[in-house]
This record gives sequence, structure tokens and C-alpha cells, in this order.
Amino acid sequence: MSETLERVTVSAFVREKVLLGMAPKVYAKSLFTRTNAIFAAILAIGLPTLAYRFWKGMGAVSNLSQTNPWGIWVAFDIVCGVALAAGGYTVAAAVYLFGQKQFRPVLRPAILTGFLGYLFVVVGLLVDLGQPWRLPYQFFLTPGTTAVMYEVGWCVFLYLMVLALEFLPAALEWLGMTKVRRFMSAISIGIIVLGVTLSTLHQSSLGAFFLMSPGKLHPLWYSPFLPIFFFVSSIAAGIGMVIFESSISHRAFQDQLDPEAHVDMDALQLGLAKGGAVVLFAYFFVRLQGLAASGRWDLLLTGWGAWYALEMLGFVLLPSLLFAFAVRTQSAKLARAAGVMTVLGVVLNRFNVSLIAFNWNVPDRYVPALGEIVISITIVTLGVLVFRWIVNRMPVLREHPDWRGAH
Amino acid sequence: MNESNLLSPHATKAIEYLLAVSYLLLFIPFWRFVNGATVAQSFALSWFQVPENVHLHRGHSWARTFGGAVAVGLDDFAHKLIGPLDEIRFPAVGTALRQGQKAFTVVADGKPFDVVSPVDGNVVAVNEVVHAHPADAVRDPYGTGWLLKVEPRWLTANLKNLVSGDAARRFLDAAAEALSGRMSPELGVVLQDGGSPVHGIAREIDPEHWDEVVRHYLKGE
Repeated sequence: MSETLERVTVSAFVREKVLLGMAPKVYAKSLFTRTNAIFAAILAIGLPTLAYRFWKGMGAVSNLSQTNPWGIWVAFDIVCGVALAAGGYTVAAAVYLFGQKQFRPVLRPAILTGFLGYLFVVVGLLVDLGQPWRLPYQFFLTPGTTAVMYEVGWCVFLYLMVLALEFLPAALEWLGMTKVRRFMSAISIGIIVLGVTLSTLHQSSLGAFFLMSPGKLHPLWYSPFLPIFFFVSSIAAGIGMVIFESSISHRAFQDQLDPEAHVDMDALQLGLAKGGAVVLFAYFFVRLQGLAASGRWDLLLTGWGAWYALEMLGFVLLPSLLFAFAVRTQSAKLARAAGVMTVLGVVLNRFNVSLIAFNWNVPDRYVPALGEIVISITIVTLGVLVFRWIVNRMPVLREHPDWRGAH
Repeated sequence: MNESNLLSPHATKAIEYLLAVSYLLLFIPFWRFVNGATVAQSFALSWFQVPENVHLHRGHSWARTFGGAVAVGLDDFAHKLIGPLDEIRFPAVGTALRQGQKAFTVVADGKPFDVVSPVDGNVVAVNEVVHAHPADAVRDPYGTGWLLKVEPRWLTANLKNLVSGDAARRFLDAAAEALSGRMSPELGVVLQDGGSPVHGIAREIDPEHWDEVVRHYLKGE
């Protein structure tokens, strides 16, 4: 008797929390949509490729070699992934440390994007490294305390934990675990401070990576200031991603939006745009300082110079001016366009530093293999699917009615 | 060491300083440009004030939390619209108020105007000083000019229906914009200087039917 009762409660729980209140058959049926068909097709190709990479090794699916050991898994999945996950710490710092409370409605989606971004950075990292069971070696068994990798590894490890803790309140509200949730409120500020500190360290140490290769990175991109460049541009990337992500989410998850909340998304995005304008404007001049320090102005007249000018003028200065113009004319549409350009600009910069202008002088240039591209697309797809699964269930875009305004 | 080697670090430093100085110089017009929109708005904003922690109802009453209670009053816009008050008819202490329904009545020039409550709750105190000198309430509408203190019932839910901060300023801005179409240019200058007409803006706009102008705004329309 009690056993049946238990089974009933468990299935009611699953039905309510996991199946969105639908019977299993109805839920399964609701999954047959056109979008899901595209996702399924990607995974049908991607997951076997992923398995093949771990079975046969990285040479079987990639064009990586001793000359070019870093390909798009590092450039896109890791270096870009970390920059694009910066929205979490940018908004958390704005809301909790600088008192910009008006950005609260975008805080949780930004933290979730950051958390999943980092989680899939680690997945990308494991694809690149192989032998995932050896991951703890670098922390505990063979710590290389003088290596940049060591610091980067710790930062990713710790920041991923912190992001999980920052996002935990949403999961606890979803599961109705009131006591633990209340405890999380008490420690939230400490976690936020820890998160901002760790990501400041970590965003810049990804730039510090490339300090080790002055001979390999083209002088227009190489600079002793690379850590500063990476840190400042990560703030811009975070702002761009939050603007981009909030406009997509508000269209894709309309049923999740709280009809009573009256969030003025346009005003919010214009507020972010103001920050974006200032950060990119400063970033443009900081980058020029790098050029001034190396004194290689002559390189601007080469082909590489034109590519550098495209990045600097088209994807740093232009979005900065567009943000400024958007705020001036109060055009949220323009702010969103500038947000997308900022994201593309940071992606371009990370590709330039870690791939395009890296090993620029070797005859054997790297071109990604199809397998590498397929795996990268698969990882992004998995990230999008997990994001959607969570947003449809947990209070991310809306506030939980029992926890309105709680930390 | 030849001359060019000696000079090159200086040239590099000079360029670096030049860049830093040009950044700072260019940042001034850039920042002014970015804030241009808000500067243009503040022309209208300076007419009517609203502090950060005050929540406005569309019917131009306001609420401010302190401790467990909520102070309620009439916003700057309504005060300047109506002009000096002759009398304020308060509800009795203990009266239950509903958000959006009548809370108290202000009287100016013999005409009574009902003002709606910004929150749900029971009246716990009325401002006796303002009761004795109603015309003084306009001097500090969000401070000493408070009218009622209320013990709120559904504060969190109530606050969702009120506007504060930038949204409150935009709300008053829109009200001011709607008014400015009806007022004379001289009146605009008076308001911009921080003054307001002795008899209230509504009477300047329409001396005959000024009470209807006031009621229109107090209804939150």
C-alpha cells in the first residue's frame, strides 16, 4: 500500500518537474518539432564522431599536428567560449558590487549562460586533451606550480564550482528545497565576490597563455599587455552576449516571461549598451597602447595590417560608436545590432590570437578538419539543449513567486 | 650607443603618452555624446523631482518603505499641478486602504480631489503637522510632506504595480510632456527654473475647468 503511494508521489514529482506537467506519452509527442529534428540530426552525426575521437584518438578526426597542436577546439570551444561566458560575472558585478539593481532581470540567464558556457568549455577541453580520467592529475598528482596552464586549470575548476553555486538557487527553488535555498541567500554575496575575482584572474590568464609564444604570434597581436586586452574585452563580450541572449530568450521563451513583472527590456539593453560603448572605447585605446609599445606601426601597411585594422575599426571602434549612437537616440534595436557586432568582434579577436595570427610564419598552416567542426557544433548544440531544458523548468527568466527579490 | 638608439625609447614613450592623452581628451566629447539623450531629457525632468527610493502610483500618489511601515503622499507633479492645498481630509487611523482606491482627499480653492492609495494596508498614522498647515506639504513632498503611514498587507505584490527610479522619472517625464503641449512657453521657463506658479499649473492651463485637468491626472489616465 505504502509502496504504491510512494510510486504515485514519485511519478507525480517527475511529471510536474521534468515532464512539464504532461503525461509521458504527451510529453514525448511534444518533442517532435522542426527545431528538435535539426538538433537530432546534428547529434546523430556529432555524438558518433565524438565517440570515434575518444576511441581512435585525436589524429583520427582532426588536422592537429606537432606544428599546430591547437586548433578550433582551443580557439573556439575554449578561448572564445570563456570570453562569451563573461556575461555572468559582468552582470553579477554590476548588480551586487556596483548596485545597478535594474539589471537583476538578466542576472540569472547571464549566470546560467556563464555556467553552461564554462561547463562546455571543459567538455571542449576534454575533447582536446583526451583521457578525461587524468584531469585531476594537474591539480593533485603532478602540480606544475610555475605553469600558466596550472593557474588556468585551477581558475576554470574553481570558477565552474562557483558558477554552479551561483546558479544553484534556481535549481533549489525548482525542487522546492526551501531550507538549503535560504542558506544560499545567506552566502550569496561571498560567492558573487569569489566569482568576480576568479573570472578576472582567469579571463586575463587566458591572454597570459600567449605571452609564452612571442615568436609564434604575429607582432600586431602579440603584446605584453595581452592579459589586460583579454580582460577588458571579456567585459565587452559579456555585455554583448547579455544583450544578444536576452533578446533571443525573450522571443524564444515567451511563455516563461512573468506577465506581472513589466520588465522594460529596451531600457535594460540601452543601459547595457552605455557600458558597452565605454568599455569598447577604452579597449580600442588600450589595444593601441600595445601597438605603441611594440612600435611596429610599419606592419599596418602589410596584409596582416589590413586584417588588424578590420578587427580594430570594424569590430571594436564601430560597435563602440554604434552603442553610443544607440544610447543617444534611445534605439534598442541599434543596441542589439551593436551587441551582436561586439560578440563577433571578440570571437574574431580570439580567433586571431589563438589561430589566425598564431603560427602565421610557418609554411604548414592549419585548416580545421571536418571532424573538428562537427564536434564543435555538437558541443554548442548540447549547450543550447541543456540551456533550453533548464529555462523551461527552473525560474530563470521569471521569478519564483515564493522568492521574489531574494538573493 | 648612437643617437637613434638613444632616442627610440623616448619616441615610444612619447607616443604612449600621446595616446593616453588623446584617449582622455576624446573621451570627454564621447561621454557627452552618449549622455546627450539624458541631458536633453533632464530639461523636462528638472520640473518634477522623484527620489530613488520612492515608488509612484499612476494616480500620482507615492509610497516609501521604512521599517515595517509605508509612508504615503502626493507626488511633486500633483502638488505643482494643484497648487497650495487649503485642506487635507484624512481617513481615520485604522481605515483599511486598497491599492488604486481612494485614500484621502485634498482641497484647493474649494474643490475637493480624491487621491488613490499606492498600497494595500491599514492607516496607522496621519501627518498632524501637514494637517494643520496643508499649504506647506509642497515644500518637501517626499519628506516632511508625507500624509499617511500605512501598515502594508501585500507590499511586495503592491510594489510591482508601482514605478521607481528611472521608470518613475520617465513616468513623470511623460506626464510633463503631455502637459507641456498645453502650457504657455513662459510657464515652461518658470518650471525649468525650479519655481511653480502660485496657483498651480492646472489653473494656468485652463482657468475655467482646471479641476477636470487635475482629476484626469489623479485618476492615473
